[in-house]
Amino acid sequence: MAINRKKIIEEMSKVKVVGNDQGMIPAFGVYVQQLPGDFWNGFAQRMVNSVPADLIGVVENLLINAAHECGYHTGYGIITSDEFKTVVSPMIENEPEDVLHGAFAIFTAWGWAKSEIVELVPGEKMVVRAYDYYESDLMQYGMCLRPSAYMIRGICGAFMDLAYGGAYDPKGESGIYTFKCDQTKGIEVGNDYGEFVVTKA
Amino acid sequence: MVKEKNIEFELDKTFDPVRCRHYLNGVCTVLHCHHYATLYTQLADDAVDFNGKELLKKAAEDSFYAVLNDYYSQNGIEAIEAKISIAQQYWQVVGMGMIKFTGVGQYTVTAEMDYSHLDEGWLKKWGSRTKPVNFISAGFVGAVAALTNNKPLGSYKVKETKGLVCGDDVSAFEAILS
Repeated sequence: MAINRKKIIEEMSKVKVVGNDQGMIPAFGVYVQQLPGDFWNGFAQRMVNSVPADLIGVVENLLINAAHECGYHTGYGIITSDEFKTVVSPMIENEPEDVLHGAFAIFTAWGWAKSEIVELVPGEKMVVRAYDYYESDLMQYGMCLRPSAYMIRGICGAFMDLAYGGAYDPKGESGIYTFKCDQTKGIEVGNDYGEFVVTKA
Repeated sequence: MVKEKNIEFELDKTFDPVRCRHYLNGVCTVLHCHHYATLYTQLADDAVDFNGKELLKKAAEDSFYAVLNDYYSQNGIEAIEAKISIAQQYWQVVGMGMIKFTGVGQYTVTAEMDYSHLDEGWLKKWGSRTKPVNFISAGFVGAVAALTNNKPLGSYKVKETKGLVCGDDVSAFEAILS
């Protein structure tokens, strides 16, 4: 693998985005915004805490689904962007595996999660570890009873969809949800890192 | 119309290479797209039995109250006009759209948006609908209403009275002292 994570993180973390004259940030085929991590955490936890126990899983899946769609569409925008072509594409020797490794370097560079792939069985399985991620900030209010990195779960599944789920479908009617992700460890539940296992759906 | 004070929002963006996190004026921020924001909004809208819309508004109000309050404190900003100007610029910088506070009184605060991340994103993803969807901006308006009137968090109840997503010319918000 020729992917140089350190270089990608150094280069891509310099990308600065601000709203244009309309207060909009059109980028990577989507509209982007940059809000505090505690806002997203705050709503997710309020939702999970407000429903009865038998509905917690349903709410969690909807939160994961939001990230899965985000990761599918924005992820496609990222790996076809000029920035990706300039920084990452010259390092790619094996597709789509190197693209996946590059995507997680960007995922890290843009502050979603300091994460990397630790196991990859092409087309079948991927294991990702995250050593620092904003969703674990819930720890500041005390240890969580359940893993709560819904965003990372969704993104991991989406990236596998893009790699092995077939051609990208801008309407999201095919190609997406061919993989699912389980969180097996979490900083927010007392582990040293978060661990995410992606398998076929 | 609120008379604005010409004061520039100072933007300090940093990246912590150890934790791999981005900070905007010291606050950890993350990039997300309109798919993410609109699906969170849809979840809140669908969760009628659990007051989802209010939960999303409250999460926004809490977070943006803290962000703006810190900024005002650190930069010695006390005048209402200056607070409003900074709030408007902040919403623009973070990509949430163009918001204009059209009236700021002790009992009522009004605001309008010509451009809105939430509405444009919803229209792009699902098309128009009959009810407004911008619960996040409503929370933001509640935070600004409280801060400009030196009131505690949660002092104002905010209603979105028009929505770009509904075909209106603007999204409009009305915050009433509760």
